[in-house]
Amino acid sequence: MSLEAFNNRNVAEGDYFLVDIEDYPTTGWDKFKRVVKRTFKGELFVGLWVVMREMIRFDIHTVQYPQEKMPIGPRYRAVHQMKRLWESDTERCIGCGLCEKICISDCIRMDTRIDENSRKEVTEYTINLGRCIFCGYCAEVCPELAITHGGEYENASEQREHFIMYEDMLTPIDKMKAGKQLEFEGFGAITPHEDERVKKTPLAY
Amino acid sequence: MSNTINFTIDGKNVTANKGETILQAARKNGVYIPTMCYISKTSPCASCRICSVEVEGVDGFILSCNTPPTEGIAVKTNSHELERERQNIMKLYDVNHPLECGVCDKSGECDLQNMTLEFGVTQQEFSAKDQLRSVKDWGLINYDPALCIMCEKCVHVCNEVIGDDAIEVKFGGYSSTIIPKDSDTLDCTFCGECIAVCPVGALVSSDFKYTANAWELSRVPSTCAHCSAGCPLEYETRHSGINGDDSIYRVKNNFEFASLCGAGRFGFDFDVQAEKDETRFTAALEAIQNASAIRFSSIITNEEALILQKMKEKLGLKLFNEDARLYAHFMKAYASVSGKLHASANLEAIKQADAIVIVGTRVATDNPGVRYALTTAARHNGAKIVYAHPMEDALMKNTATQFMKYEVGTEEGVMALLANELLKNADLDDTTKAFLDDLDLGYLEAESNVGDDELSFMSKSFMRAEKKVLVIGADMFAHARAQNIAKLAATIEKYTDFSLLVVPNEVNTVGASLICDLDVDEDLSSVVGYNAHGEYIIAADENADLIVPALNQQEGTVVSIDNQVLPLNAALGFDGYELNDIASAFDIEAENTIDYTKELPQSAGFKGVEFDSLENFLGEFGEDERGYQLESVECVMDGELEEVAELPEYNGTVVYQANPVLQFNSFTNKTKQLERDTTLRGSAQFAAAAKISDGDEVEISLGDSIQRRVFKLDDELKGTIALNPTFDSGYDYGSYRFLKSKIVRVM
Repeated sequence: MSLEAFNNRNVAEGDYFLVDIEDYPTTGWDKFKRVVKRTFKGELFVGLWVVMREMIRFDIHTVQYPQEKMPIGPRYRAVHQMKRLWESDTERCIGCGLCEKICISDCIRMDTRIDENSRKEVTEYTINLGRCIFCGYCAEVCPELAITHGGEYENASEQREHFIMYEDMLTPIDKMKAGKQLEFEGFGAITPHEDERVKKTPLAY
Repeated sequence: MSNTINFTIDGKNVTANKGETILQAARKNGVYIPTMCYISKTSPCASCRICSVEVEGVDGFILSCNTPPTEGIAVKTNSHELERERQNIMKLYDVNHPLECGVCDKSGECDLQNMTLEFGVTQQEFSAKDQLRSVKDWGLINYDPALCIMCEKCVHVCNEVIGDDAIEVKFGGYSSTIIPKDSDTLDCTFCGECIAVCPVGALVSSDFKYTANAWELSRVPSTCAHCSAGCPLEYETRHSGINGDDSIYRVKNNFEFASLCGAGRFGFDFDVQAEKDETRFTAALEAIQNASAIRFSSIITNEEALILQKMKEKLGLKLFNEDARLYAHFMKAYASVSGKLHASANLEAIKQADAIVIVGTRVATDNPGVRYALTTAARHNGAKIVYAHPMEDALMKNTATQFMKYEVGTEEGVMALLANELLKNADLDDTTKAFLDDLDLGYLEAESNVGDDELSFMSKSFMRAEKKVLVIGADMFAHARAQNIAKLAATIEKYTDFSLLVVPNEVNTVGASLICDLDVDEDLSSVVGYNAHGEYIIAADENADLIVPALNQQEGTVVSIDNQVLPLNAALGFDGYELNDIASAFDIEAENTIDYTKELPQSAGFKGVEFDSLENFLGEFGEDERGYQLESVECVMDGELEEVAELPEYNGTVVYQANPVLQFNSFTNKTKQLERDTTLRGSAQFAAAAKISDGDEVEISLGDSIQRRVFKLDDELKGTIALNPTFDSGYDYGSYRFLKSKIVRVM
């Protein structure tokens, strides 16, 4: 099904119709009549018949969740993903700490150190998803597109601790090696033809 | 001729004092002129040219940082041309500057970032071939030449304020860098002031590098707790790890006006942690109940000292603190002649001075704050500095103009000779005159080894001086003739234009000496130690019987060398018990320790003000708005100079109780970054006299105690005096710092 039918907000044309809703009863007698009518009309069976009818027709419009899942929009903000660099497969995060600073529910914590190659290394990184409100600021502020929001909205677990696993957020190395890391297409992502718009520093030598 | 110059800046009428530059006058009058390399406490570096201004009728730009105004000129700080000039300068700074702001330690507080944005550098027209510049590891300091913008601030502070003169600019156009002077690696006292002044991330602390970002750290303004200089600093704290408690990540200071030594900057992790342990607390109360005395060190706040004093009064205990007691006695003798309780000079007076005499302190390591003030005086005022001490000090070599070596133990004689020389033309009263006339100069000069040629050379060099300071140090307090030395110092202060600065040993020696009524330390059986040794020890130390918070974990005040009451703030939390809880158990009730701030004795000069009303900052122009100055206290002038006693002789191997650079006490000893050099350091001559050689393990008999140390040969030392560190041994300054010692090599 295309999205066009949903995007068309013109009420005047098409299949839109007004729902005929009776006025609420105001007097006691009217209320009594409604009770009697509802009791004996068998509305329950009307409803059950509709379900029965649709079941027999096998023309089902509902998504069969969890067997079936709808695609998620690129700007949907679900559980974070930590991306890897295409060039070296190493983590993209440079440990600048901007996400930690901007986080309004104070759920990001990180620790960094200087590594053996005199580079900044992120030693610990957690997002407490129990606190996260999925506002998306962290992804927006990230200068490296290292932290993004993914489409993983199914977060139920037995323990809160399961919500802060960095390893779960990081692109698995085999997926990376297979070149299957998905780039984030939401806000802050590199727009198409970005390369052509970059102004280069003049190099006179 | 008038001392002020009237001119206009951007049409505003401005008055500058003589000697002030256009920039200083502009800042004083609230006119903004951007700068990159300017730093208030040094002479202008004049390397950035951002502070250029236009003067009507003068072609080209003028550097406002090093140009004094002339009468009636019209200065313009903003014009299209200036704007373009500044933008171009910023563009040049940005050429090949590594785009690593995301990880750079300076990001968020970087002058280059700020100014690049301020001048709207949106594109780059300049380019230069980039070159390989590798990061230099200089121990506690890390230098990245690729980030360096060659503002030369570091070189200026190192030379003009600190006095190490350890780094210099290696000129080479675009390939200029900062290099260690006359050495492959940085050989200095590691004050870290170069890190503080660096406007970019070129010079950073190795320990801090890449561990946190500027915007994550909370700042806690406080006062350094290591020596009596009372330098202002800011502890910067953040959670450690991802679930950890707060810890101090680094220390910063207001480098524009104040300086900080390496102990303050790198020695910040002396805090302790403890839980409230009822049984230990009960044991502590019992120990105090049964104690006959409390011994405490001067590394304590005024409020705690007052609590101890109250406990003394209530429980009939004795209070021991040899350091503060001897200091109090010294100052009492001083007061009996000078008529006031507090000495007249402070560190600011030294910075302004042009003639300084230092007696009885190895000042560069005893109190770096004094050393920096001396360096400032030497470099900026060309001050004549006479450094009188039995040992040369390589750190003072570049600062002192005259070294006056005297024999160990002859301090009284030296002071008498100084008094005799400095009081030559003074209008003296009869007793002082008689005292000086009675001096046996020949004997004193012979015994102390200070010749009259040295003294007259000193007088001669002081001839044109206007602001003079006499600095008296820690060797004097425990001297057998301390009283008379103090009186001699007071006499010099009284009859000449010398002001006097006394250098206390510990962070709050002055406060403890003013607040507590101290007893002579006896070897009693049941003494409770409060940050000091005893049968039962209450201390900010993991091994103590009851753990109390360290000075970076509590609020309170200390009295500095300047007789200024300075507030300490708690950078880190503490869950255990503190002295106030103990006092409360003995019905000396106060909710918080700082409730005692207003109760500090006004008879000693304290003002009865609440702790929370004390400010702790340096003003826009460096005005010291921290705490308050002790009120001057009048004293009875009943002291009279005594005849100079026979000067003692110290022959053979002598050991001087002096700490190496950056170490002061058990708290600095605990810190992670500071080097712990516990060796006995002596010259080749000392080694020959003691029959030991480099690397030997030796046993040193000091009076009745024996210490074991490794001997290290130090080329910079001379004579038969060796330096014995005290920071690891709990020395309480209760004895004269030079000790005759027997040194035996351990086989």
